[in-house]
Amino acid sequence: MIKRLVNATKRALGKSNPGRYFQVFDDDTFIVSFPKSGNTWTRFLIAHLIHPEETPNFGNIDRLVPESEGLTTNQLAALPRPRVMKSHQYFDARYRKVIYIVRDPRDVVVSQFHFFRKRRRIDDNYPLEKFVRSFVAGETCDYSSWGGNVASWLVTRQNSKDFLLLRYEDMLASTEVELNRVASFLGIGVTPEIVAQAVERSSADQMRKLEGGSSTALVTKNSRQDIPFVRSANIGGWKKTLPEAAVAELEDAWGDLMVYLGYELQHPEKRAAVDFRFTERN
Amino acid sequence: MIRYLAEGVKHAFGLHRPGRILPVLPDDILLASYPQSECTSLQFLLANLFHPDREVNFDNLRHVVLDPDVSTKRDFDRSPRPRIMNTRSGFDARYRRVIYLVRDPRDVAQSRYETLRKLRKIDDQLSIADFIDRFLAGKDVQERSSQDDSGSWGENVGSWMAVRSSHPGFLWLRYEDLVADAERELKRVADFLGLPTDPKKISQAIERSSLVPLVNERNELPEAQVASIEEAWGDIMACLGYKLTTRDPGDALKSSLIALLMSDGRAARPVPGNGNRP
Repeated sequence: MIKRLVNATKRALGKSNPGRYFQVFDDDTFIVSFPKSGNTWTRFLIAHLIHPEETPNFGNIDRLVPESEGLTTNQLAALPRPRVMKSHQYFDARYRKVIYIVRDPRDVVVSQFHFFRKRRRIDDNYPLEKFVRSFVAGETCDYSSWGGNVASWLVTRQNSKDFLLLRYEDMLASTEVELNRVASFLGIGVTPEIVAQAVERSSADQMRKLEGGSSTALVTKNSRQDIPFVRSANIGGWKKTLPEAAVAELEDAWGDLMVYLGYELQHPEKRAAVDFRFTERN
Repeated sequence: MIRYLAEGVKHAFGLHRPGRILPVLPDDILLASYPQSECTSLQFLLANLFHPDREVNFDNLRHVVLDPDVSTKRDFDRSPRPRIMNTRSGFDARYRRVIYLVRDPRDVAQSRYETLRKLRKIDDQLSIADFIDRFLAGKDVQERSSQDDSGSWGENVGSWMAVRSSHPGFLWLRYEDLVADAERELKRVADFLGLPTDPKKISQAIERSSLVPLVNERNELPEAQVASIEEAWGDIMACLGYKLTTRDPGDALKSSLIALLMSDGRAARPVPGNGNRP
């Protein structure tokens, strides 16, 4: 009863965390992705563009590009508009303007596995195969499965002018090109110097240094310090780590969607006729 | 301040509307549909199917079929299990058992236009052409509440379709099929929910739900507006078995992501509305 009253009072005073159920405005922009798909890196890059006067780090990133679900009602209401916020949510019709980042699920699962070890949600002996199984079933987090999250946004919004799809792999390969796309999507005029500086200051090396200097950000607090948050930031690392059966399981679940997004399959013979790609649309 | 306190007291006594923060239980049954899809008919049918000994009417329906945005938390706490819930929201990953009631968007559009005019939610002078533009964008009512997450028809249906179309805990129900053969469709629902499918019980539920007659009122939309709807959502409509009148369905399905996800790339999966029936 006491707990209920405390919660009720908190909520009444706007000091509770509304989770998915917070007030969305039409001029909000969301940086959305399934977890471990390069969202934090993208937040840093975009923070450089929208706040050129500040240098983003793990201490201020939650203020510059806040995590919508990490804040209380009052904190959310106090943010200057238009807001640019991070989210991991599957399709939410209230989000009008969305930058969606997608990453090869075979890399995502490995990254999430290490992240869960860092957050002490699984111990060091937890088998990777078992983790992949719950990953495919969408049981590793509250944001649906990888395929569910990605498909829910693509099916509903891929034709909208208020939707920008970024592939993490393209961002790594040609960061400046992709960042220029983001700037024009957001309607921000940028000079080549600003873009170059954003890229340089958000490199994996720089991010690792920033992480070492601070552990107050929501993404890293209360976690194991022996496992870094900014890991290898690479493409195709799964080839060395993921067991063959796990790869087959992932491709069996989402092979079509992966081909559609331009990810080459280990077992393409299982896919009969996916003869079109998202990339061909642009 | 008074408003805050009133809210706080409501929360403390469970009289608030839990909305999306409602804790979902594994056996909850969710009825999902877009507005104007005649969901009330299905609510009555299900309420009568679950509670053959209780008289269900417009006054007590909302205690039997709960709506997180309308029913209070106390209603939820007192509801027998499994709870039956109703939503207009797009895809929601928390529910394990979902029945999606879908209706032809051309009928939904027409019906919504008339309803919103009747309710004075849209200007009487608004032409059907202008209305359809708004309808397609999911902005048919100008000042929708910031919590309204029903989206457009295509977004609502498509979001569920994209994620759950081949999930064993998901059942498509077309309103048109319910009108054509309520017994057959209600039997599918009972099968899905693991309820007895005794024909007598099914007929009784249908009879008791007769206060909302199952009819599909249709008015012809102008051809140009039909074309806009089919241009926007032709692939979803074709996947659901709705006949297109202004374009070739093959054309609509070509290079369609939703068709790809529904067919699973390997063997064509039966689409709801024709092959999906026992």
